[in-house]
Amino acid sequence: MDTFQALAQGFASALTVPHLAWALTGVTLGTAVGVLPGIGPALTVALLLPVTFTLDPVSAFIMFGGIYYGAMYGGSTTSILINTPGETASIVTAIDGHMMARQGRASAALATAAVGSFVAGTLATIALTFSAPVMASFALRFGPAEYFALMVVAFTTVTVLLGASLVRGLMSLFLGLALGLIGIDPLTGDARFSFGIPQLLDGIDVMILVIGLFAVGETLYQAWRHGRDEEHVIALHDFSGMTRDDWRRSWKPWLRGTAVGFPLGVLPCGGSEIPTFMSYMIEKRLSPHPEEFGRGAIEGVAGPEAANNAATAGVLVPLLTLGLPSSATAAVMLTAFQQYGLQPGPLLFTARPDLVWTLIASLYIGNVMLLVLNLPLVRVWARLMLIPRSLLFGGILVLASLGAYSLNRSLLDLGLLYAVGALGCTMRIHIIPLAPAVLGLILGPMAEQHFRRAVAISEGDYLVFLSRPLSATLLVVSVIVLLAPLLLRQRAVAPASDRRHDPP
Amino acid sequence: MVIERMALSAKDGQDGTVDEAYDGSDRVLAMLRRRRTLPLVLIALTWATAADAQPLYQHLRIVAPAAPGGGWDQTARAMQQVLQAEGIVRTSSVENIPGAAGTIGLSRFINVERGQGDVTMLSGLIMLGAVITHQSPVTLREVTPIARLLGEYEVIVVPVASPYRTLGELLDAFRERPESISWGGGSAGGTDQILAGLVADAVGVSPRRVNYIAFSGGGESMAAILGGQVTAGINGLAEFAPQIAAGAVRVLAISSAERLEDVDAPTLREQGVDVVLENWRSLVGPPGMSAADRQKLENAVEAMVASDAWRETLTRFRWNDRYLAGEPFARFVADEEARVVSILEKLGTGGGPASSGPGLGRYPMFVIAGLVLTAMAFTVSTFRSRPVATRQQLRDAGRAPLAQPDETRAGRRAMGWIALAVLLNIVLIERAGFILASIPLFWLTSRAFDARHPWRDAILAVSLSVGAYLVFARLLQISLPAGLLARWI
Repeated sequence: MDTFQALAQGFASALTVPHLAWALTGVTLGTAVGVLPGIGPALTVALLLPVTFTLDPVSAFIMFGGIYYGAMYGGSTTSILINTPGETASIVTAIDGHMMARQGRASAALATAAVGSFVAGTLATIALTFSAPVMASFALRFGPAEYFALMVVAFTTVTVLLGASLVRGLMSLFLGLALGLIGIDPLTGDARFSFGIPQLLDGIDVMILVIGLFAVGETLYQAWRHGRDEEHVIALHDFSGMTRDDWRRSWKPWLRGTAVGFPLGVLPCGGSEIPTFMSYMIEKRLSPHPEEFGRGAIEGVAGPEAANNAATAGVLVPLLTLGLPSSATAAVMLTAFQQYGLQPGPLLFTARPDLVWTLIASLYIGNVMLLVLNLPLVRVWARLMLIPRSLLFGGILVLASLGAYSLNRSLLDLGLLYAVGALGCTMRIHIIPLAPAVLGLILGPMAEQHFRRAVAISEGDYLVFLSRPLSATLLVVSVIVLLAPLLLRQRAVAPASDRRHDPP
Repeated sequence: MVIERMALSAKDGQDGTVDEAYDGSDRVLAMLRRRRTLPLVLIALTWATAADAQPLYQHLRIVAPAAPGGGWDQTARAMQQVLQAEGIVRTSSVENIPGAAGTIGLSRFINVERGQGDVTMLSGLIMLGAVITHQSPVTLREVTPIARLLGEYEVIVVPVASPYRTLGELLDAFRERPESISWGGGSAGGTDQILAGLVADAVGVSPRRVNYIAFSGGGESMAAILGGQVTAGINGLAEFAPQIAAGAVRVLAISSAERLEDVDAPTLREQGVDVVLENWRSLVGPPGMSAADRQKLENAVEAMVASDAWRETLTRFRWNDRYLAGEPFARFVADEEARVVSILEKLGTGGGPASSGPGLGRYPMFVIAGLVLTAMAFTVSTFRSRPVATRQQLRDAGRAPLAQPDETRAGRRAMGWIALAVLLNIVLIERAGFILASIPLFWLTSRAFDARHPWRDAILAVSLSVGAYLVFARLLQISLPAGLLARWI
């Protein structure tokens, strides 16, 4: 009852004209930076800090919340339309979303992403409202052993990203893992594979790999094919958004994506990429027509897009209740809290309830605004597909170079971007899937660190992963995920052989 | 007086634009101008402390050698706020150059900003340690020391549920079997690990036996401590203040020399561990700074630390005022460096004998072996089963991949255009600026795809490049190389 009252007060404070205006500014800015590869919400919030010095804290945080949520909406747009994820959390969306766009169904893909983001954002905000303290204390039970087990579960998703050939998929994965070795070993501080180049000490930025493989790689690949056989991109024929069938196929993935995304977002080292990979795997496993995945399955867009928005709300749980920043954006928001003399943490809810509840209320409002802003924009964005290819690819390269260079202001990053682009093009030519490489680069270093931390804490006892109940459970889950399809296939081999000839 | 004052502000205005462009001849002119106006600068400095003074800088760039959200970034943004509010600078911007505990920022600062007068970078104890740990090719001796700004004490904490009630109990267990105590803290070679090493050394345990668990970032290590994943945690006092206030952790010791008023915890010294450590942050200028520029920056910093707004900032972030400038600051850095080098050697982080061995570690070996094996399998499979691959290609690409000679030529030509575009982009971006580098990138790429309207494309290229520059560099304040064109916009 208390929570409802506090929330009602929060709404009363958030529904004033200036606060609504800041929320609108935030979501618009957030969508804009989300669309652009390489420029994320963390940088945007940091850049806006001086502007907000003059604002009252409530307005500033309403705007920051809007930027954070907005970026997750915007990230999917470029993934779908030009195969270039705007944020790392939208990598998975590019796989099926872009295939849908090529089949002339860009507006359906954009719409399911927008509505899915809204559903997930709202549900996750409700979860944030009512279960924040419980979720936060649960999250603290995750130690390095549990995180490693979680990474193992995440690695199993590679099985659905492999593509047609096992060897090719694994090669791509190992390529990503190998790139992840570059840089300082975070546990000892030693440099590994940095070849004496200082800029490589921090490793290869995931965004460089993503923009390079996807955006630059795509441009080069299309150039390579130029004159060979013009790729058949079906002109956009349908601006209507989602059909009845699309809705029917989307709503369950939205809910499942939320269920995966929110808890993983709460974990202090979860990140927002892992839930999207997991959601994609779940959707493919549960789908009655898994063969459509990778060729434009709407579930492959709906699930991950819901998952990344739910994770975003999850990140706010440890930030508000424990003062733990678990993403770059959260870290900047923590700084902003301190600029105003506020300490997020166990005491924030009692010290400044007005601020916390207005912020939470404005998250609900921001979600509605994002839906209202994005659904009509779907038609506008979808027309991007009508831009002649000669101009589209030029524009992509300019934006890619801007994003890569502005990450660290480093010429080396720009060079790496184009080198990775050439690699991506070669991989496309040899039909090697790109997604496992990205998965490897994200998960490899995390898995290694958590493994070594867990073993160090337990003084070299490798059984720690099995003796801790949570980590053991997660490892069992990963074994089930790996083996279940094999077992099911064996059992269903006889009846399935009839069905295989007439796909639904 | 009035005329001189105006001349000074005009000079400042020019400085801002000159320094934005990486142009050699202009820089020489600016240096000549600076030398001539040195007396004016000194006169102006007397006004700088006055409330209604002219700003010392039209635009001051502050480099934070860390990602948004970290300690250096926090300090940089707090400085930005105070400097602008007090009218010491008219505008200022913070540039984040993250990586390797500040050493990447340091190397870029030394290489790119040499001789510039309107830029300063955050530095401190962590960077001092990182330069040693990461065997950085550049060191803090190459930059111009300006001033130490602030310090933060470290605390040793345990979760409330921990069996250890006092530091004595924890250290007894530590002496008995050092490896059984896991210490969670920030990145390897940083202040937290330095403190762990100093404490071990002081109680007669080899620092090498400290079971230090490095986490990346304050959030991760705090979560591990709160959740009881590690035995004890070492972290900055400010970061833990809310947890301490809420009673979520127990403070066993604080690394200050005297007890603090607002923290109910004994010092290390009180408990028989003769260690005092403060994580300090400072400001440096680029190498080759002119005397006048250095003086101007030092005066701006002096004016900042004297302001009420700065005092307020220090209290808000729980930073200790440790302002120290000039020769004493340079001596202080030298002393700290000696202490850090000695403890890091004992800890064996970075290029110590323990790590420079030939073994790569099991995980990297596994990854490299995996990559080599799969690559071999791939080569064999494509070599052996060409027809299969072709059929697969047929299915995936949806049409025959058999290329006619002139078709491959078209593809090769297109690739050539793009290669040229990319090369020009890399060559031009830092030399001629973002706009001039993007125009050929766009135009040549459209050539690759046989665009039929070269003039229309050229106009589009110019408008896209200028538009992108305006939106990002001017509106969002993301620093892109300005180059020649941007000065006129």
